[in-house]
Amino acid sequence: MRRVIRLVWFDLKPELKPPVWILLEWFTFTMQLFIYGAIISQLVKAQAIGNYQQFYAVGFVVIMTFDIGSHAGRSFVEHAHEGRLPYLLSLPISRSKLFLAITLQGGAELAIMLTVPMALTLSLLGNLTVVSVVAAIAALFCLGFGVAGLMLGLSFIAFKSSDMYSAIVTGLSTIIIRFSTVLYPLIFLPPGYASVAALSPLTYGADLVRFLLGFNPSILLDPMYAVSVLVALAVGTLGLGAFLLQRLVEGVKSG
Amino acid sequence: MYAVETQSLVKRYGKAYALRDLDFTVDPEEIMVLLGPNGSGKTTLLLTLATVLKPTSGSARVMGLDVIKQPTKVRQILGISFQDARGFWRHKPAEILQFHAAMCGIKKSERKALIEAVLKELELWDARNKLFMHLSGGQAKRLEVAKLLIQSPKLAIFDEPSSQVDLRGKRTIWEQILKLREKGSTILVATNEVREAEYLADRVTILDQGKSVVCDTVQNLKDKITGGDIVELELERAEDNTEILDALGKIPGTVKLMSLDKNRYKAHVSIGEAWVPKMTSLCYERRVRVSSVRVTEPSLDDVFLSFTGKKLETSDNA
Repeated sequence: MRRVIRLVWFDLKPELKPPVWILLEWFTFTMQLFIYGAIISQLVKAQAIGNYQQFYAVGFVVIMTFDIGSHAGRSFVEHAHEGRLPYLLSLPISRSKLFLAITLQGGAELAIMLTVPMALTLSLLGNLTVVSVVAAIAALFCLGFGVAGLMLGLSFIAFKSSDMYSAIVTGLSTIIIRFSTVLYPLIFLPPGYASVAALSPLTYGADLVRFLLGFNPSILLDPMYAVSVLVALAVGTLGLGAFLLQRLVEGVKSG
Repeated sequence: MYAVETQSLVKRYGKAYALRDLDFTVDPEEIMVLLGPNGSGKTTLLLTLATVLKPTSGSARVMGLDVIKQPTKVRQILGISFQDARGFWRHKPAEILQFHAAMCGIKKSERKALIEAVLKELELWDARNKLFMHLSGGQAKRLEVAKLLIQSPKLAIFDEPSSQVDLRGKRTIWEQILKLREKGSTILVATNEVREAEYLADRVTILDQGKSVVCDTVQNLKDKITGGDIVELELERAEDNTEILDALGKIPGTVKLMSLDKNRYKAHVSIGEAWVPKMTSLCYERRVRVSSVRVTEPSLDDVFLSFTGKKLETSDNA
């Protein structure tokens, strides 16, 4: 286990020295929430939503979770192409421990990145219990792992063409965010949009986190349904990632 | 027991074969050099032995351990220095070596001194706190080699260890590889550089299109070439060369004879040591004085050409 932790820390350390990207992410979130979020909440007055700034804050945290998870998945593919992955694969640890280290690193990055946005969002919401906050954070982690696994699942495209992979991931990300409930509830969407949004993992992540943080349940998906989808997504896609690490990556042509 | 043994090893990428039924062995504490042009399957073989790639079929063993069934155990006894040192852009050499040493189970108390010694030996000490992305190509390559010197594994695999490195740096790396063998490591080096192979190899395996063409010591490989030795001679009498040229051409072992100018000849012969005495006695009988004789051995490039019909060193890889 010591080697797993060492591996996680080795990859994480450069991100923290200095933590420029993390600070920029936090700064962006703060600006979005207290400038854009504050102003747009004056324009959006829907009784079912209540304070739109709060709705927007949770939505933006979910978008950040998606971005971080997506980045972790893409980093894995980049490492395969840059030559770092062969090095990791040659280290004297088992494949399962290596995969655990990669997963933990993604989780640690997510935890660090979300610290300030989550704290600001919770302070904006107020009146929360420890259980609901912990459950909401767990849901976000589940979503983050699921998205990272999804990006890993698409990595087989990258081994054929990295340009095609980038194009597909960018296009998919755009669709997954826009056709979801991160910025607007499902019941407000036109039926055509709503049916596509039901396919987005962000819909389940955003609705579950909002439910756990005390938003109006009538505008949200059934939380049990959302939990099932998120757990299935995380387990399924991480399983696929482990499979790819074992089978596909070790078949990547070198040089 | 062989240090490395492969039997009918095949690695395929789609329809393309990188390794074709490769049978290959390396003895313990031997330096085996894999010589072949780009795309001959050298790197694929090394990555398969290092358990980074899985073979399509066949078997491979390292110190008796099966690379498919016991990959983690194999990784615990071998180390690999990759062809391209990449991927740690935001780390410093000292950090990278600290990490590598720790992952390979080197005791904390030994790490610092060991890393300092290796960094100094490879002339990387002054660059130890530079970011990897700021290292020159040669420095990055030396850092890649440094990992194995610190690790001292039972099987040390080097993929083109001195490519991108200047001449002085090459010599330093080669000497360190020889030292590593003295410590008891078995060494496997892939290269397309003739000088590197000649400097390091106990034996050379020539790979071409994923197959082992021939394997032997450097000297034996050179001796196996018909007409591999080149004898340049200068004779004093220059009036009528035809007769002496005919006679020289009839000496057993002469493969090709050509006139360079009116006094100088170049002969491609099978074994120079056997041909030269016959040539001198012939000249003595014919009262022709020999002004100078120079025998040169074939290079490994000539050996490669002889066995595969292709040139090894091209402008791309020389």
